[in-house]
Amino acid sequence: MRSRRALLVVPALVSLALATASCSGSPSDGPTAAASAPATVSGTIQFWHFFTDREADVIQSVVDDFEAANPGVKVVVKSGQDDQKMRQAISAGQPIDVGLSYSTDQVGPLCSSGDFTDLSSFITRDKVDLTQIPDTVLGYTEYNGKRCTMPALADVYGLYYNKKLLAAAGYTEPPKTLAELTDMAVKLTTFKKDGSIDTLGFMPLLGYYENAEAHWAPSADAQWLNDDGTSAISGSAGWTTLLNWQKDLIAKLGGYDKLAKFQAGLGEEFSAQNDFQTGRVAMNLDGEYRTAFIADQAKDLDYGTAPFPSAEGFENTYGGGYITGNIVGIGKGSTNPEAAWAFIKYLTTDTAAQVKLSNGLKNVPTMHDAITSPDLEVSPQFKTFLDIFENEHSSTTPPSGIGAEYQTIFGTHTAKWQQGDVTDLGAMLKTVDSEIDAAVKLQAGS
Amino acid sequence: MSAPTLTRPPVRASRTGVDGASLRKRTPLVFVADHALLIALAVIFVAPFVFVLLTAVMSPAQAGTAFAWPTSWHWDNFAQVFEKLPMLKYFGNSFLYAGSATLFMLISSVPAAYALARIQFRGSRFIMFAIIGAMLLPPQVTSVPLYVMWSNLGLTGSLWPLILPNLLGDAFSIFLLRQFFLTIPREYTEAARIDGCGELRTLWQVVLPMARPGIAATSIFLFFASWNDYYGPLLYTSENENAWPVSYALAQFRGARSVDWNLTMAATLVAMVPVVLVFLLAQRSFVRGVTLTGVKG
Amino acid sequence: MASAIRRRRTWTAFAFLAPSLLGMVIFFVFPLIMTVVYSFTAFDLSNPPRWNSFANWKFLFGGDPLIGQAALNTLWFVAILVPVRIAGAMLVAWALTRARRSSGALRTLYYLPALVPPVASTIAFVFLLNPATGPVNRLLETVGIHGPGWFTDPAWSKPALVMLGLWVLGDIMVIFLAALLDVPTEQYEAAELDGANGLQRFRHITIPNMAPVLLFALITGVIAALQYFTEPAVASSTAMGKSSVGAGTSTLLGWPDGSTLTYGQLLYSKAFGANLFGYASAMAVVLFVVAGAVTFVLLRRFSSFSPEVAS
Repeated sequence: MRSRRALLVVPALVSLALATASCSGSPSDGPTAAASAPATVSGTIQFWHFFTDREADVIQSVVDDFEAANPGVKVVVKSGQDDQKMRQAISAGQPIDVGLSYSTDQVGPLCSSGDFTDLSSFITRDKVDLTQIPDTVLGYTEYNGKRCTMPALADVYGLYYNKKLLAAAGYTEPPKTLAELTDMAVKLTTFKKDGSIDTLGFMPLLGYYENAEAHWAPSADAQWLNDDGTSAISGSAGWTTLLNWQKDLIAKLGGYDKLAKFQAGLGEEFSAQNDFQTGRVAMNLDGEYRTAFIADQAKDLDYGTAPFPSAEGFENTYGGGYITGNIVGIGKGSTNPEAAWAFIKYLTTDTAAQVKLSNGLKNVPTMHDAITSPDLEVSPQFKTFLDIFENEHSSTTPPSGIGAEYQTIFGTHTAKWQQGDVTDLGAMLKTVDSEIDAAVKLQAGS
Repeated sequence: MSAPTLTRPPVRASRTGVDGASLRKRTPLVFVADHALLIALAVIFVAPFVFVLLTAVMSPAQAGTAFAWPTSWHWDNFAQVFEKLPMLKYFGNSFLYAGSATLFMLISSVPAAYALARIQFRGSRFIMFAIIGAMLLPPQVTSVPLYVMWSNLGLTGSLWPLILPNLLGDAFSIFLLRQFFLTIPREYTEAARIDGCGELRTLWQVVLPMARPGIAATSIFLFFASWNDYYGPLLYTSENENAWPVSYALAQFRGARSVDWNLTMAATLVAMVPVVLVFLLAQRSFVRGVTLTGVKG
Repeated sequence: MASAIRRRRTWTAFAFLAPSLLGMVIFFVFPLIMTVVYSFTAFDLSNPPRWNSFANWKFLFGGDPLIGQAALNTLWFVAILVPVRIAGAMLVAWALTRARRSSGALRTLYYLPALVPPVASTIAFVFLLNPATGPVNRLLETVGIHGPGWFTDPAWSKPALVMLGLWVLGDIMVIFLAALLDVPTEQYEAAELDGANGLQRFRHITIPNMAPVLLFALITGVIAALQYFTEPAVASSTAMGKSSVGAGTSTLLGWPDGSTLTYGQLLYSKAFGANLFGYASAMAVVLFVVAGAVTFVLLRRFSSFSPEVAS
């Protein structure tokens, strides 16, 4: 009896000790800029990014350039790290100095949780010229007034069209409105003997390659969030226009099931079997990076690029498109913030570095000087995207405390919509609003 | 409570089958039907392996298509798997994880199981219930606080959060070992006690040699469970490629921009090989162990 | 004298058990308590937990649009995957008892798939069940059946996972086989003399004798189904066809259409994808309660079957 009680004391003590240890996370603000910029930077920095294969090689060449310009610095590169891995590592306290994320989705969580440190002290001290960067881009790199990321390069989306297939159907120009897109898509679609689709004019299903609500939104000036972070979806007429257009096109192309079957046989997006590259689909929404893949994997493809068609009633938006970008910041556990900042400055404000990255990755530079640089390789197809990037009607998905979750919530409903399972679109959009608001509320805590 | 036999008798050529149907009266038709079912089942169970193997030796272009039979045989795909991915490193990690976990488990769980099986003391029943509870607990229930604890200790990004806990016992292994120890007749332990042996000596000199098959079986169980573990490495090693075991790395193989199905299938087969080998070598112990988990509640 | 021996024995027992007891406290009891505590906080791991009383719980039972589907899917697997696997294992085990000389090799054959790392077997099955190019649909095509979309069709993705579960039923089949062989033949002979037919013999002799094993398979099967994670997660991401670089887990959940979203996947996504560790803890508490209740009910209900549970 006594012995048993005595033995229970030990685990109790241990529990207590662990209890105190377990309250984790130091609410520090992360590194800030030193009073004056150091003359030279030195040391080792950990650089995490998400690129792989060919694109990782491009990043590496820029890293090499930076190391050559700053002999005291060694950059340890970890490639293939997606957003989740990076965030997990940072919040577990790993000393990541520079993190590069492929999308803007995590800007909200990264800034609000403190995982990426506030860069304003660095920016002010080194007098970085933010006017070089378009307002939209500045908008998606900060959250709630806290600038915790800088834009590295941007992705811009537009319409790719197969000139040969269009010519065969009698078209010389790409569609400028969604109505034209529908007509052309129907004309360009051919069927096999058993009734299934052989070549598709344009795929209206969301979830196919880059078809996403976010990528269509600028065509109809469709809004996602209000300024206070709550959902603006049901109040924005553009969504209804877009979704009705989609439903119409699905019906005209033979119905959801036929298109779903076609989708099941799609080629891997970034392989040489990509449907657009093999001519299986005549027109496709994609990003500017596709020009690099085509040059690499489908050199003989005769294609053109244009801004994505505008929706009915929103013709003035033509010329704009969806933009997003890579963002880069300093992890809160960074042990060498000055060297980290020097590297970030290099990636985001150095014209030569931006041009080299752009030429290699075929992404759009975020600095005006880089866009207008004579060293920038601009094919006619790529030029379209530079124009879209600087067009005033281009927009992005706003940063939010819940990351990209408002998009996935919308997606679960649009999935039902496109299958034909939703009768009341207005009610559906209101439900989306309430679900997003509830998620935002939960994230904010109390 | 009689001890079940430790060795499975060969399938008896008895007069009656398992459902009592007299085997003597089996007509040729029934014979064929019985074996047809078994053969059909055999085909179904083996077919996936065969298809995976066929795809593994196909050319890259053919692998994603509908042709089932390779037009050209690329046995070098297996070598390519090792070139494209640091498979040896992943195998090393798997061995480290499974091996250390098993070793640590033995150190901590054998004495514990012995105490629960052969030492009469107050509270043994309660502890046994607690162990069964821990055994049946879905790991996701405790994932969050455990992850917080390990991240505070700075051990995330490695396999240690998965290996170290075994130093403090593994519920399922304790349960299994206890079942084995229960089958060793009391007379031996009583005799040892009468001879004046302390519990430790009894365990070490009397019980362990007799329980070797059981210990082997338990070890193999934990080895396999660790080797095939996906959730644990997902949580604790995903951000550190150097720590990936094979079970996790395989899922990442397709994380690159495109899927080479032929190489993916080849990698799948390569991942299966060690497990199959160990099983074939240690079949009897393994099946014995599996049997004893269920037969006695 | 006797009590001194007993006391020494108790000490020894606890000495042997000390590491395991410590382990239980650190890795079982303590995290369980912390999970409950965290469920009342907002916690993103980078910053200390903040008390937010019932906010997580309100979201769990009211606001989360995915929780219903996740729970229903998981219960679907409990209700269908588990009994189907048990029935299948019984069938295969029974078939094996009919064989004579080759049973050992065949048993190994049927068991082999269970040894394969789940990630590997899932990827293999996604490949085999590819609706356009996979061997299964090609085979069905030759007999004129138009195969379904399997892992790409929301109506067929769960059944496809059941098929995978059947392929790996070797682990419980082996136990069933051993138990089947253990049934005393005298009971069968007596029953046959009494005039019982095959089905009656099965119901009244085979099943009761196999009760402990069946109960064991049922309980462990249900627990495994409640925490079902690896196979549906890998199947979704492999079948999706799109590259998932940078996408993280949230966009892939239960693809297609959330049909294979399980409770465990949602918990993982909320914790490690959305960094909502407090909310995930609330989900974990619910899982614990359900798992505990199910185990309790099953043990109670079928305890009349089994001779004894603890010996």
